[in-house]
Parts: sequence; C-alpha cells; structure tokens
Amino acid sequence: MKTLYRLVILIVCCTGSRLGWAQQAEPLISGSFQDLSVEQLAKQLEARSGYRIYFDSAAVRGVTVRAEAREQTVASVLRQALQPTALRFSMDADRHVFITKGTGLPLVLPAGFFETLASAPGADSAAVAGQPVPVAASPSQLYEIGRLSAAPASGRATLTGHVRSAKTGGPVAGATVYVDGPGGGVATDAQGYYALTLPVGPHVLNIRGIGIKNTRRRVLLLANGQLDVQMEENVVVLKEVVVEAEKTKNVTGMQIGVEKLDIKTMRQVPTAFGETDVMRVVLLLPGVKSVGEGSNGISVRGGGTDQNLILFNDATIYNPSHLFGFFSGFNPAILKSVELYKTGIPAKYGGRLSSVLDITTREGNKQKIAGAGGIGLLTSHLALEGPIVKDKTSFLVSGRTSYSDWLLGKLPSRTLRESSASFYDVNAQVNHTFDANNTLSVNGYVSRDRFRFGGDTTYAYQNRNGSVKWRRTFGSRLFGVLTGTYSRYDYQIESARNPVNASVLRFDIEQLGGQVDFSYFHSSAHTVDFGGSTLRYNMLPGSLQPRGDKSLVVEQTLAREQAQESALYLSDRWDVTARFSVYLGLRYSFYQALGPRDVYRYEEGRPRSPTTVLDTVRYGGGRTVATYHGPEYRASLKYALNDNSSVKAAYNRTRQYIHQLTNTASVSPTDTWKLSDAYVRPQVGDQVSVGYYRNFKANTIETSVETYYKVMQDFLDYRGGAKLLLNPHLETDVVSARGKAYGVEFSVRKTAGKVNGWLNYTYARTLAQVNPDNPAERINGGAYYPSNYDKPHEVNLAGNYRFSKRFSTSVNFNYSTGRPITLPLSKYYIDGTGRVYYSDRNAYRVPDYYRVDFSMNIEGNHRIKKLAHSSWTVAVYNLTGRSNPYSVYFKSVGGQIKGYQLSIFAQPIPTVTYNFKF
Amino acid sequence: MLRAIKYCVLGLLLSLAACVEPYAPPVISSPARYLVVDGFINLNGVTVIRLSRSQSLAATTVSPFELKAMVSIKDDAGALYPLAERLPGTYSSQPLTLSPNRRYQLQVSTLTGRRYASDLVVAKVAPPIDSVTWSVDGQGVRLYVNTHDPANATRYYRWKAQETWQYNSAFRSDYEYVNGAMRPRIENIFTCWSTANSTSIMLGNTQKLSDDVVADAPLHLLPRNSYKLRVKYSLLVQQLAQTAEEYAYWEMLQKNTESLGTLFDPLPTQLTGNVHCLDDAGELVLGYVGATSVTQKRMFIDRSQLPLGTKYATGYEDCIYQDTIPLRLVNDVFRNPVNVPTYALLDGNFNPVFYLSSSPDCVDCRRRGTNVKPSFWP
Repeated sequence: MKTLYRLVILIVCCTGSRLGWAQQAEPLISGSFQDLSVEQLAKQLEARSGYRIYFDSAAVRGVTVRAEAREQTVASVLRQALQPTALRFSMDADRHVFITKGTGLPLVLPAGFFETLASAPGADSAAVAGQPVPVAASPSQLYEIGRLSAAPASGRATLTGHVRSAKTGGPVAGATVYVDGPGGGVATDAQGYYALTLPVGPHVLNIRGIGIKNTRRRVLLLANGQLDVQMEENVVVLKEVVVEAEKTKNVTGMQIGVEKLDIKTMRQVPTAFGETDVMRVVLLLPGVKSVGEGSNGISVRGGGTDQNLILFNDATIYNPSHLFGFFSGFNPAILKSVELYKTGIPAKYGGRLSSVLDITTREGNKQKIAGAGGIGLLTSHLALEGPIVKDKTSFLVSGRTSYSDWLLGKLPSRTLRESSASFYDVNAQVNHTFDANNTLSVNGYVSRDRFRFGGDTTYAYQNRNGSVKWRRTFGSRLFGVLTGTYSRYDYQIESARNPVNASVLRFDIEQLGGQVDFSYFHSSAHTVDFGGSTLRYNMLPGSLQPRGDKSLVVEQTLAREQAQESALYLSDRWDVTARFSVYLGLRYSFYQALGPRDVYRYEEGRPRSPTTVLDTVRYGGGRTVATYHGPEYRASLKYALNDNSSVKAAYNRTRQYIHQLTNTASVSPTDTWKLSDAYVRPQVGDQVSVGYYRNFKANTIETSVETYYKVMQDFLDYRGGAKLLLNPHLETDVVSARGKAYGVEFSVRKTAGKVNGWLNYTYARTLAQVNPDNPAERINGGAYYPSNYDKPHEVNLAGNYRFSKRFSTSVNFNYSTGRPITLPLSKYYIDGTGRVYYSDRNAYRVPDYYRVDFSMNIEGNHRIKKLAHSSWTVAVYNLTGRSNPYSVYFKSVGGQIKGYQLSIFAQPIPTVTYNFKF
Repeated sequence: MLRAIKYCVLGLLLSLAACVEPYAPPVISSPARYLVVDGFINLNGVTVIRLSRSQSLAATTVSPFELKAMVSIKDDAGALYPLAERLPGTYSSQPLTLSPNRRYQLQVSTLTGRRYASDLVVAKVAPPIDSVTWSVDGQGVRLYVNTHDPANATRYYRWKAQETWQYNSAFRSDYEYVNGAMRPRIENIFTCWSTANSTSIMLGNTQKLSDDVVADAPLHLLPRNSYKLRVKYSLLVQQLAQTAEEYAYWEMLQKNTESLGTLFDPLPTQLTGNVHCLDDAGELVLGYVGATSVTQKRMFIDRSQLPLGTKYATGYEDCIYQDTIPLRLVNDVFRNPVNVPTYALLDGNFNPVFYLSSSPDCVDCRRRGTNVKPSFWP
C-alpha cells in the first residue's frame, strides 16, 4: 500500500512538472528470467538497468512471469514478461516504470507526446463513442476518459455520468461528486446524473452521498467522456449520524434557505406515536413553524399554511395529514428524501408563495425482493419491493393502516366507543429502465381518512395522486424529464344524529398537470435549466345535500370552478470563478379562470356585499373569466470567502393562484380552496435573504445565519363574521391583505461523532395589514397586526447520542412563543342581550409552547446475512407532560363566558415501535 | 403482559380525550369597564337610553348601571332635548316629535365629568308595517313581517319583537290559607299573561330589489308544541329604519353574538359603534345610537287557529302530584307557605274532609307573569 501512495504522489509530481525526454543511451538487457515473482523480476531489472520500478505489491502477489531477453530494452522485456498476465506497465522519461493491474498507468504529459511513449496494451480509451460506457466499480483502478485524439484545445474537458447504487441499481440523487484541489464539484441531479468540467489530466473523483459508502474513483481525463459509478450501499442501517452526506454543501453549494433531510435523520426524531413523521421533522427546521400541536399545517417564514407546495413524487398533495393531523400522510418505509426550499426556490418550481416541500420515494430494489415494516401501537406499515425484470424493472408497494378503530370499540366510555378513527395510505410505484438513456417511473398514491367523534359527525377525506415520469438523456450534456401528474383531494362531512338535519357536505379539487424539464450542461461554468408546465384545475367549492327521507336540509351546490395555470422557465447557474457563482432564473406564469361560471357584478365604489350586487354575467364553458400573468424572478449568488465559509444571497418572487379558505389557524379537513377569479387576485410574494455559512472541525460542525425580508400581497383575509363554506359570493366576505415577514435564523449542526444533532434559534415576525378604502372593512383600523403564524421566538434542539452501534438515544426540545389570538375581553348588554367585546385581531397570545421528547433506538445484531434486520424504538413524547394549548375557546356556561384551553397531548405519551427490514 | 399492554394503549387513547383546562389570562379577568350606550333616538315618542358598563366575562351579576349622568339629544341646529333618569341607568325623554330632516346625536356627561357623544346621524322614517303573518310547517310556527316603503327610501330595517302569551298554572286554587284560616280564594292566580322581548337581532334589507318591499321576512320560529301557543299567543313587532352604516353594525353584532366558541366559528370582530369620548379619543365606548321613528303592529294566534291534535307543552311538566291533607293537619301544613291549598274533597254535606296541596310554583301563575290582563288582550 505504501508503494501505491508513493506512486500516486509521484504521478501528481510528474503531472505538474513537464519533463523532457531523456536522450541518454537506453540500457539493453540480456538474460533469462524464469518463473520469477514480479518483485524478483523488478529487482533484477532495476539492478541491471538503473530503472526504478514501482508496483502495488498486493496487485502482483502470486503472479509469476517469465522472459527471454537478448540485448533488449527494459520495455521490451517487461512487455514479454507481463503479456500473459493481467498486469500492464508504463514508463516515463526519467526511467520510472509503473506496473499496474488491468490497464497501464497513463502518465500524463502534453498531448501528442504521449503517443511516442511505448505504451502497454489496454491503454486505449474505453469510453469511445459507440462502445458501452464503463461502469466504474473499483476505487483503486484508474479509468481513462475520452480519446486522446479528441483532446480539447482548451485543455478542459467535461466528464458526465450516472451514479447508481450497486445493490438496487437505482440512481443516487444528491450525491456530491468533486475533485481534490481547485476543480470544484457538483451534486448529482434527481436521476443520479452529474457533469463536471475539469482540466485534462488525472483526477481523483470523490463521491459522497446519502446511504452510500463514500468513495473515490481515479480518472484520467483526456477528452469529453462519460463515467458511470456504482456505489456500494452503506449496510449499517440506522447508523447514528444526522446528516452524513454533502459535508461541505452548506458552504460550497449554491443553495440558500434549503433544507435536505434523509430518512435516517427523520427516523431519529421522536414522535407522538412512534412513527417517523416527515412533517414533524420538518417542523424542527429553522424558519418552519407549527400552526398547532397535533396539526400538520406548517408556516414557512411567516407564510400561510396554503403557501407551501407539497410535492409527493411531483404530484401536489393538498392534505398531507392523517387523523386531524396527528400523523403525516407519508409512509416512512418508502421515503427517500425530503427537500424544503424556503428561499432560493429554483425556477422549475412555482405555484406557491412560501416554500416547496419536495418529498420523493426511493426506487424499488432492482436486484432482489426486499421488504421493510413497522408495528406501532396505533399504526403499522409494510413495504415490499423487488425486481420485475432484473436490473430493468422494479416495483415498490407500501401500505399503512391504523387500528385505532378496533381499540376505540373496546373502550368503556360510550362516547368514545361510538367514535371511530381510521386511515390508510397505499403507494405503488414501478420503475423501468429502457436503456442507458431512458427510464420511466409510474407512481400511484391513495390516502383515506375517516373519523367520527361521539357518533355525530363523520369526517372523511381522500387524497388520490398519480404521476408518470420519463427521463431521457440526450448525449452527455442534455437531460430531459417529462412528467404527467394527477392530484385529487376531496372530503365529505356527514351529520346524521338528527334525522331532520342529516346532511352531507362535500368538497373536491382535481388537478391534472404536465411538465417538461431540461437540464443542459453547457460547460463547467454554465448549467442551464429550462422547461414548462401546465396545470388544469377543476374544483367543487361545496355542496350540501340532505341525507335520508326525513331530512329537511335544502340542497345547495355551488358551481364548479375551472382554471388553467401554465408557466415557462429558464435558469442558468453560472460559476463565474471558483469562488463566485450566480444563479439567474426567470419563470413566467400565466393563469386563466375559465367558465362556465356566473360572476356577480357589484356597484362601483361600494364594499362588495350581497346588497350591492348589480347583475350576473354568465361565462360559457371554456371562456376566460379572468386572466393573470406575471414574471417570477429567481436569483441567488454565492461567494466563498475561503474553504470553510461563504456568503450567499437570494431574491425570489413567487405567484400563487390558489387560496385556502380556513377560518381557524390550524389545517382542518373543513378547509376549502378557492381559485383566483375576477375578484380574488393571485398572491404575490417577494423575498430577499442573505446568509453566512461557516464550517468548523473538518466540516463536522456547520453553522449558519440567514436573514430574510418578505412582502406578500393579496393573500386572503376575512371580514369579521365571514362565511366561508357554501358561500356563492365569497368575494363579499374576503379581503385582500398585505403581509410582511422578517426574521433571522441561527443554526448549528454537528453532523458526525457520538453526539450529533442540531440547534436552531429563530427570531421572526409576520404581520398582516388589511387597509381597504372603506374604513368599515379595515381590520384593526388598517394597521399592521400579527398574523396567525407570528411566533417571534423559537428554539429547536434535536440531539442524538450514540452509546454503541446498537443503542442510541435522541432528544428533542422545542420552545416557541405562543400564537396570537383574538380574545373576548368583556361582556355588555345591548338591546337586552349579553354581547361580547373582542380585542383587536390577534392582540394577545396563548401561553408559550414548550415540549421535550425522548427516544431510544435499540438495534438487533448487525450480521449481514440474516432473515430480517430489526430494531425497537421506545419513545416518550412530551416528557415533561406540559399542557400546551392546541386551541383556546370560549363558551357560554350558565350566563358566564368561560375560557378553556384544549391540550391534545397534556401527558407524557410513551410508545413502542418495532421496525424490521428483510 | 398482553393485558398490561392493552390497558396501556387504552390509557393512551383516553388521555387524548380529556385535557381541557380553564383559561383565564389576566386581561380577561380584570377588563376595563367601558361605557355602554344602548338605545336609539326616537323621532316620534319617548327616547329611552340605557347606560351601563361592560364587565368581566366571568361576572354573574347584571352589568353595573351608569347612574346620575346628564343625557340629552342634540340636533344639527343645536337644539337640546334632555333625558331624565327614570330608573337606575335608564334615561328617558319627554314624548318628542323630531323633524326627520335634521341630523341628531346623543350627548352624555357622566357623574365624573367625562363627556361622550355619538356621531351625528341622519334621521330615518320607518314606514308602517303592512302585516305580521304566520304559517305552520313541520318545524313549528313561523312568524313573518311584511312592509313596504312607496318612497323606496328605507331599504334597511330592524325589527324588535315582544311576545305575550296567556297560560294557566298546573292546578287551580279554590282556597287560600290566611291568618290561620282557610277561606275561598278570590284573586285569580290560575290564568296569567307573560311577556318577553325577543333576544335575537332581526334584520332585513331590500337593497337587491327594485322596490322597497319586504315580503315575509322571517322573524321568529316557535316550536310546534310550544307552551306559548297553548292558549293564546300575541306578538308585537316594532319596525325601525336604519342607515346602511347602522345596519352593518347590527349585522356584525349579530354575527359576533350568535357564534361563540367552537373551532369552526368565523373570526370575531372588534365592534364598537358610533359613540366617542370627547375628553379622551382613545377611550373605548360601546354602542350605536341611530335616529328613527318606530311603527308597530300586533298579531294574535289563538289555539283554535292551529292544527288540531297538537299536544302542547304546559311549562308545568314537573307538577304531577298533589298531597292530600286531612283536616287535623291543615294548620300544620298550610302554615308553611311552601304548601298552597288547591281544592277540597267534600262530604255529603259539602263540608271539606281533605284539602289538596301543591307548591306555589305549580299553583301561582304570577310566579311567571302577571294576572293582570294586558290592555291589548281581547
């Protein structure tokens, strides 16, 4: 091994110093070398010629050589001796000989010079056009890229390729491919492709990624070419490392305000019911705030819960939660990664104001049948995957269900016995590789919830999603992805207790979309992304129907709403210098609200209300009711101060054409959506952010400070007493609000070692203003007031301590200021009846939120060959048993108006989960 | 072990069900006492204004009255019409006839010397009520109001309603025990009349219509078997005209009052009114003072007009038994006023043998109303 090191060092030296060809006389060798080991041969030749011969003793062990020489050069002798073996050699002008296995060690010298060298066979480029791309599996082997004759004049060549898992055959996305030294690095894209432009010559490619063993490949870059890399999977499942990959990404990467989580990190975070919960982990990230305990609604940097684009394999998810938000809707067994963009949103994404949460599932195993599952107190999940056609087609099917229904039935309390709560979700996916350039994946996702409290009202909601994705590589520089998506969300609320009032309330929204995305690796300095997308919405805003013969409920169904949202985008990532990079993007979105539709016209200059309706205009099917369009700018820049620190800044504008109607601050299944129309304008958001990033201790400690200022226009707020459900003239009850949000986020992460985790502190404000011309419509007199999501101080700690490979503990700490609330302040009598005087909107706050969770992970033994790998997780949610208010409400009890605080998890909640994998 | 796990799980679910605690932040427990101005300027009669103070949400007492204030109506020409405190906190004017062409405001000066005034408002004239009608359907008896303004000037209406109904107590009392002796009862305590003001805010507008016509605006719904319908029922409807601004205030007040508490209620609004403190612009005053004339109409529903066979509630469902009191116990029993004699069982010579006894609540209808027949009652 020592020899090898010497060799590598030497190569580097050789490359740097352009040596001339020695003109001195070539020593000639005579003699017979019979059945010698390579060591012996080398010794003898060195003694007779003055050449120095280098080799890896491990590579030549057991190889015997023979040669007969009569007045021959060293090269000739060696060629004769090594011909029958797998060993090859090369030599340089200073009489250094290098014996290597497989291919000869190319000694990099100026182009043209190389040909005169007596090169060993096998040194020809393997990556010539028309020949199969080599799959580089070995870290020690040297791979030659490109044909020497095609060497570029610029002295720089582009290396492209595909990083895939050796075990599953699936692509490894987000792995960092970089070279030692000043060449820089890139991350593989979602399909595992990378492209890197480097000076011609030898390089060591480092490849690091999630769930794979970090490795390196030695390449000799002669010209543009391709190198596919197979990565070994990291077999130590649940290794206690929070963020293992992309150690320098936070400093060297372009991204600002981006959080990436892999499934391992998510598994470590203790949750209420022992099940890994994506949304709950996301809540521990800086700048992300919960809108209520037991709720999956999130507010990102002061934005509303509807301003987050939640993508599950590219299809939009409208309700990401189960059971009123106690569970997230995604089966942890199939998740691959979660990316949250808080700012610096790539031009590819659009349609929501505040953030993009991109959830992707992994591909099924293309090599063998495998499975994973978990059994918890309230839910269980199972995933099964395997090849359909080995190495070509794989499937991944997973399901999750709760059995809380069965448990509720066993309870002594009648109210609880008549309650029910059940949910399930199913995900199925097929991936197919046509050839090296074409892959297809098909995904389907269904989730359903149904729950009833005390035998009265039954809530049920469904998500149905599907996506088809075709990825194609056009040559080595252009990648394209064609995606088709379908999303549907609907709910039914059935009230049956009183047959006279028995009714069912329905809502649904359907979304059909197509999208094409291209990435063009123009050069090492420019990566251009472009594409377009279109979405068709079809929505039933609400329908109330009587149920049963006795029901007196009058049927009411609002007309369906249709709209088309399209966008084109173009972006360029430009590495101006090794330290300075910019990303410039432009997205242009275009929206049409479409008929058939009846639109009320209102009197000019007066507040819109049912009493100011002048007439109704009817738009026929397909006719455009309203059009909105506008540019969305996306720009960011990075300047690396040194290897360990950088400064980044971003500006982005986003437009949102769909609005959520919620009269509570928490996401509840009664929330409906509203498409922009003649009266409801699209929301527009602008955000500027600046961040400073610094890593310490060999990138094991990452620190960052990010600050932002955000302005939101035309998001919906409601007039006092607004009616949101079944309102045919909603425009009379909503008002356009302006918002501003600003804050600073401090974050420290330790990514390696026995103790790891992260600590964040966020100071953030988010304010809203409703100041229309008519004073009566103003909220709080038209002044800025704290929005529902305004929680200025927040501290999150997620820590892990690994006692051994098999036993580890995690702890979460979460503190935030209580959310704002409008309080009834006092009561008085008008017209003989008690009335309540309310405070200014959101003038007060509920008590602060504070919670500590704890969990222990116990793994089975780590033998690779066994039936199933299993682990136990024992967790306690809300260890201190603090009663954090979920909601505060007021009720009139015996003439008194009393306030109550409802806490969902007011006691420590212990859980046990058993997970297995085979 | 399995059993233990099962109970553990059940405990977990139960713990989810019950975690409701009282919530009373300091700002609620000790709120400011804002002046509340309740009433309107009556263009054609007595103006009644009630002044009180807001109080804590948890208070069980009636809200404190604002006593000994100086209250007067002022028109835009400067004419003053004083109000006098007839009842504690209730200030009434002389019967006035005010011009509908002027604008009016209310001025209040409290005992502590703080001065308040409502905004000058346009006077509105309420047209007469055309009719108050009713219909019976599956849910009960619905009452409607009909009106119109030929001048198309009113547009915004508010109605106040007062119900009066005749009823009987559970048991007729033929005797009374006075000064240690039983004697025939002279005063009727069996048939009474009760009156109640409607507590809901009833509003209507004709803004959408080409003509200012209110047809069958729903006022009130009585359950089919309401005890109020058992004998005879009457409704007095008063009609007030409003400006658009005042209407918006009442509409908001309606929404604010009638929904309180659940997760799904609309957002409450901060609602004050049109009264301001002249000494301190920051001081909050509650209430809206408008100026309107009042028209009214009364209607009756007799039991005979209602569908036959309806089993009405009595309101005395708890009064089932009477005690039988032998003569020797009469003094002991009826000395205590919780026992009221109803009638006697007589022997062959028409002399009482037993008296029957019940409680005053079941016998004396005056406990729930008055035995004085209202003047309007037919």
